[in-house]
Amino acid sequence: MSTELLRLEGIDTFYGPVQVHFGLSLSVRAGQIVSLLGGNASGKSTTMKVILGLLRPRAGRVSFDGRDITGLPTHQVIRQGIGSVPEARRLFGAMTVRENLLMGAFARSDRLVIARDLERMLELFPRVRQRLENRAGTLSGGEQQMVAMARALMGRPRLICMDEPTMGLSPLFVDRVLELIQAVNREGVTVFMVEQNASLALQIAHYAYVLQTGRIILQGEAGEMARNPKIRDAYLGGPDAKATAA
Amino acid sequence: MGSWLDYTINGLIIGNIYALVAVGLALIFGVSHLINFAHGSVYAVGAYVGWACFTYLHLPLPLTALAVIIVCGGLGIAIERIGLRPLAGAPRIAPLLATIGISLVLDQLLQIAFTPDPRALPSPLPNWRISLGGGTIGALDLLIAATGLVSAGVLYFFLRFTKLGWAVRATAQDRDAARQMGVDTDAVNRAVFAIASALGGLSGLLVGMYFNHIDPAMSFQATLKGVVAQVIGGMGNVPGAIAGSLLLGLTESYGVALFGSSYRNLFSFVLLLLILVLRPNGLFASARVTPPEPMTGTFVAPSRVLRIPPWAVGLALAAAVVLPLLPNIAYMLQVMTNAWLMAMLAISLTLVAGTLGQVSLGHAALLLLGAYASALLALDSGWPIWASVPAAGVLTSVIGTALAAPAFRLRSHYVSIATLGIGEIVSLVILNWESLTRGPMGVTNIPPLAIGKLELDSPQAAYWASLAVLVVLALLQSRLLRSHLGRTFRAIRDDDVAARAYGVSLDRYKGIGFAFAGFGAGVSGAIAAHLYSYINNETFTSTVSITALTMVILGGMGNLLGAIVGAVALTALPEMFRGTAEYRMLIYGVVLLLIRFRPQGVLGTV
Ligand SMILES: Nc1ncnc2c1ncn2[C@@H]1O[C@H](COP(=O)(O)OP(=O)(O)OP(=O)(O)O)[C@@H](O)[C@H]1O
Ligand SMILES: [Mg+2]
Repeated sequence: MSTELLRLEGIDTFYGPVQVHFGLSLSVRAGQIVSLLGGNASGKSTTMKVILGLLRPRAGRVSFDGRDITGLPTHQVIRQGIGSVPEARRLFGAMTVRENLLMGAFARSDRLVIARDLERMLELFPRVRQRLENRAGTLSGGEQQMVAMARALMGRPRLICMDEPTMGLSPLFVDRVLELIQAVNREGVTVFMVEQNASLALQIAHYAYVLQTGRIILQGEAGEMARNPKIRDAYLGGPDAKATAA
Repeated sequence: MGSWLDYTINGLIIGNIYALVAVGLALIFGVSHLINFAHGSVYAVGAYVGWACFTYLHLPLPLTALAVIIVCGGLGIAIERIGLRPLAGAPRIAPLLATIGISLVLDQLLQIAFTPDPRALPSPLPNWRISLGGGTIGALDLLIAATGLVSAGVLYFFLRFTKLGWAVRATAQDRDAARQMGVDTDAVNRAVFAIASALGGLSGLLVGMYFNHIDPAMSFQATLKGVVAQVIGGMGNVPGAIAGSLLLGLTESYGVALFGSSYRNLFSFVLLLLILVLRPNGLFASARVTPPEPMTGTFVAPSRVLRIPPWAVGLALAAAVVLPLLPNIAYMLQVMTNAWLMAMLAISLTLVAGTLGQVSLGHAALLLLGAYASALLALDSGWPIWASVPAAGVLTSVIGTALAAPAFRLRSHYVSIATLGIGEIVSLVILNWESLTRGPMGVTNIPPLAIGKLELDSPQAAYWASLAVLVVLALLQSRLLRSHLGRTFRAIRDDDVAARAYGVSLDRYKGIGFAFAGFGAGVSGAIAAHLYSYINNETFTSTVSITALTMVILGGMGNLLGAIVGAVALTALPEMFRGTAEYRMLIYGVVLLLIRFRPQGVLGTV
């Protein structure tokens, strides 16, 4: 249970002249839920882009399951067994929910199994079933998040990358999404999730990293992190601020 | 022809032909947010490939069509490879310019290979016509209708039911998200360019057969019509492009029925402007559709400016001033006089396109306005030249700004399309307003430049006069750029949303910018009219607009000195290399393609 599935080593990234990551290194163990925490503009989404091959790092190495995938085009990264739930979901708004889910299986060619997987997704996400023939753009934010997760899972990934899956959702939906992430994880999918809301992420994560202006400043088991006074002060709103943790 | 049914059939047939072009443009815009200005060239290549197959190889129509599909499909892939892929991370304007460059190169190669003269492309189909109600339909009409319908059907099937078709739709909606589903979006682009270009080539073949006439100039018209049809239907909207094409075909056909054939294009461009102003997302867009272009600010590349020390500028100016004193230089003076006139146009365009960020593709229309204004004031109202030239500048400024005003609220690509349309409208109104402009005859016997009784008709005098006016305009513009106004212009370009949020009235500032630019360009056109002594509505065509844009880009968008350097380089250099007119456009095309290695131009964008 301790093999490493994803590893980033010494990553430097730039947008033009602006450097975002400064020697970023982290690793994700197979079977775990690993969370990357950090404030606005700390470089979380950019980390996702690097993993997914949407942005090429100027230095450093990304490896997945022992293979170097640095600089691989995104569609090939996906074919290695990585699924993505992008920031703000990014569904294909003019396509139906069913078409969105089938797009998730784009890299696969086993038609019959795809049909079975679709059925499985609808069991896992019952709300999605009622909206199957609706255009994805007409769904509520929470429903869209479910579809985005189901879509990523349709690719049968070994690792699923989620960028702020709870962003903009009502508390009820937030809980539901967290449960689903755990359910997915129990089925053997490794989860790497980016979150601003540390208290939420630490509820379900096994391990967590804290990113600040492109550098990892803290890491540890989620339980320890939740108790760490530094984290509490910086990311859980401090000992006496109750609002953010709720 | 004669009956309304005939006009309707004719409109639908033409509409079908436009649709084959517009659908391709829509597919390409869908996946790449690029208006492929080379699309019309592919269409012309299709027509010529068809002609060659008929004439040299004596192939039957089906094999000819197949050859056209293969050649044009391949050409499409090449265009994607050269014009789009290497520019993935570049500012939005780069691929736009690259496709204009490719288009210039292809058109010119066609001219060199087949001469600019028109050729007949006789249809090999039987010549019968069946009568239907009050009209008739021929075999070719049916073939065109069938090609349109079958292509639409195949396309529908492709987009709905094939894996690649799904990938195309997903890529069109969200490129990055599609990649995260495992879609190879480069392959999607390639496929789309191949399909679009094959359809475009087929359209060229059919048009050639329909009118029994092909010539290299058909390229630009096709791009224009395709773009218009696409704007009507909504950019990137494939069914919309078909509907827009049919609507355009019918509008033109009825327009011709009512007013005569010289009004055909006027109708399409007026329709274009109406749509751009009233429904910029197209006739069929529902409110839910996302704004088509999330690209403020980054349309023009920011860069560091190459500073030219003032003494170097002074030295160059001094050299320019004494040039006429050299012996045996008459021809060179003529070339350089043209260069100064082009430089006036270029600094005007660099203000609008570079500093204001409104990439105009219709700037030559300002020359036409200025030229006609001064010529007609001098000839018909008896104004002295020293008064008619500045008056022409003012008139151009007023009319040009009023014409461009509807485009003020548009952005990036849409500005380019709108200005292209406005430019065509100006030329067509001049053509058709015979009582004022003498129509297709043009204006003859325009008096030469003069100050009072002093006629400036020697090459030296013309040269110095043009240079002097250019220097004055450039100094004025340089002051403008350094003023508060200049900073506001750049703020609008870099982030019009933020500028508006700070309470800047965009319309007013764009108006001021266009007015200033219009004056300079109008004066340039006016001087040219008195130098040429003859003008007509085609003296300054869209080719001149593209030329000016090339100069501006070569010098660096927004860069005043750069525009002058670009104008001199691109006017004088082809002459020095004894380039004939044929190769000149080829050079411009290559410059536009090479700019990818230095997108900020020679002196840098400002
Ligand atoms: N496409 C881009 N071009 C230029 N700069 C960018 C781009 N995307 C992000 N940045 C910059 O890079 C930095 C890191 O951005 P990133 O999106 O990775 O942050 P983040 O941690 O995901 O923030 P958020 O919590 O707001 O999602 C920010 O300063 C951002 O402005
Ligand atoms: Mg982010």
